[in-house]
Amino acid sequence: MRAAIQGFVAAIALCMGLCCTAAWGQAPAPEPAATAASAASPAPVLTRPGLVAKDSINAADTAWMMTSTALVLLMTLPGIALFYAGMVRRKNVLNTMASVVAIAALVSLWWFAIGYSWAFTPGSAWLGGTERMAFAGFDFQLAAGKLSVSHVAPAIPESVYAMFQLTFAIITAALLVGAVVERMRFSAMLLFISLWTVFIYAPIAHWVWEPGGWLAQMGALDFAGGSVVHVNAGAAGLVCAWFLGRRSGYGREPFEPYSLALTMVGAGMLWVGWFGFNAGSAVAADGRAGLAMVVTHVAAAAGALSWMLGEAVMRGRPSLLGLCSGLVAGLVAITPAAGFVTLRSALVIGLVAGLACYWGATGLKRLLKADDSLDVFGVHGIGGIVGSLLTGVLASRSVGGVAGSLWTQAIGVGAVLAFSLVGTALLLWITNLVLGLRVDEQSEQVGLDIAQHRERLGQ
Amino acid sequence: MQDSDKLAIAAHLHVLLRRKTGRVTDTEWMAVNAEYALEIVRFARQHAVEDGVPELAEWADRLDHAVHAPAPVPQRRPLLETASQAVRQRFVPEPVPEAPRYVGGIR
Repeated sequence: MRAAIQGFVAAIALCMGLCCTAAWGQAPAPEPAATAASAASPAPVLTRPGLVAKDSINAADTAWMMTSTALVLLMTLPGIALFYAGMVRRKNVLNTMASVVAIAALVSLWWFAIGYSWAFTPGSAWLGGTERMAFAGFDFQLAAGKLSVSHVAPAIPESVYAMFQLTFAIITAALLVGAVVERMRFSAMLLFISLWTVFIYAPIAHWVWEPGGWLAQMGALDFAGGSVVHVNAGAAGLVCAWFLGRRSGYGREPFEPYSLALTMVGAGMLWVGWFGFNAGSAVAADGRAGLAMVVTHVAAAAGALSWMLGEAVMRGRPSLLGLCSGLVAGLVAITPAAGFVTLRSALVIGLVAGLACYWGATGLKRLLKADDSLDVFGVHGIGGIVGSLLTGVLASRSVGGVAGSLWTQAIGVGAVLAFSLVGTALLLWITNLVLGLRVDEQSEQVGLDIAQHRERLGQ
Repeated sequence: MQDSDKLAIAAHLHVLLRRKTGRVTDTEWMAVNAEYALEIVRFARQHAVEDGVPELAEWADRLDHAVHAPAPVPQRRPLLETASQAVRQRFVPEPVPEAPRYVGGIR
């Protein structure tokens, strides 16, 4: 075990070192006012990241985006950590939390080493360029009064935009923990998440959000990550569950959750943090951000209540976990639609998502026969698909300036689903070959807190 | 008062009467038949005084109270519960025995 961890750490360090050295060698010199923005002339349209005069930065937008970045990071640390840790058995709580924290740290470094450049700089329709690799760029020249901005968000510093997008990459990877809990080796999880962030998340983000990406060119709508984050994580989670196999005793023994109170606290943080996720995706402190915030809230409320009603009708009792799951379902489904729909549409999206995800986490789960332990596909996959398709139906031209197309949305969802399913399977196969994916039977019985970390929850 | 509570009082009185007076009673009949129960109450009170056993009088009072206590009113079923039951029966025609909680899924 120790040898495996040491090997893994060495491999990661070597990869990062090689990557940084190679990219530093060819890192372009800071572009001398790529836009040549002067106070007198109208600012030219940026087509790639570059330097602009600091006066062209909008202070209100920047402040809101820094706030949103913090909100989205809070969704993972500690939001997702609490949400998931409350649902696993007592002997696996610390491993679940450690996984989330480690993912946040690991993805952060990979993002500035490779991910951001591949996702948000121009390249081909499939993958971004290399100009922001190896921690390059994000220049701030105090004396010259210039700073770097992204062509995707020219009114805020590129450093803020890259950080905001990093928090999305972190939470997407952290969602996968829900599918692999209680049986995956910690070292294997770190290697897999590293590969997945770089080779699956970054390309999909480029397809959808970089203006040159093929889905962006096609007109697929995804305001804050319905397909990039949720369909992607849901599909990958399902593959992880299939690949890892079921937990020992699954379907025969009750797996008592450690504390659904922790799960509720996590769900509350997700609800609040989602205002940064969706309203922040307007990349401005404006009316569209305000509308995104209110539709997010309405959809979460509708999702919570529709799941609760579904559960009450089918099982006779509403549960706290059902309410928490329903609000997340509503939030997931409104994510692609937040900047494109009205309040009434948000209500419809939330109501549909609550029931659809309830089915996803119960009926569909039984059909799929995979131990998707905390229902990553049932909630995020199904919620993302429902939200993305409904965005095609309900998008209002007066709100977002574009009309939706169900066909285009279906192509976008299908492409993300297919790429994520196949790519994740390939990366899991590689990880299994290098480190082995599962802990042994004895470790699973003892619990991963002790087996993987030599730590135990206090009394 | 619940039938189980009446039965518990009758059982206690049955044991006391057998020990203190040698009288053998029918516990279950005492719990369901008011006439028989009141006769036992009278008998227990009489021997409580004659034999100087205050415990008999105390348990006779309890049985007397239990016999005269109004029967529990059947709980009213709210309209929403009735409707939800009807919907469940409509959409889930074959009631599947509910699996134990947290087996095969957390939700």
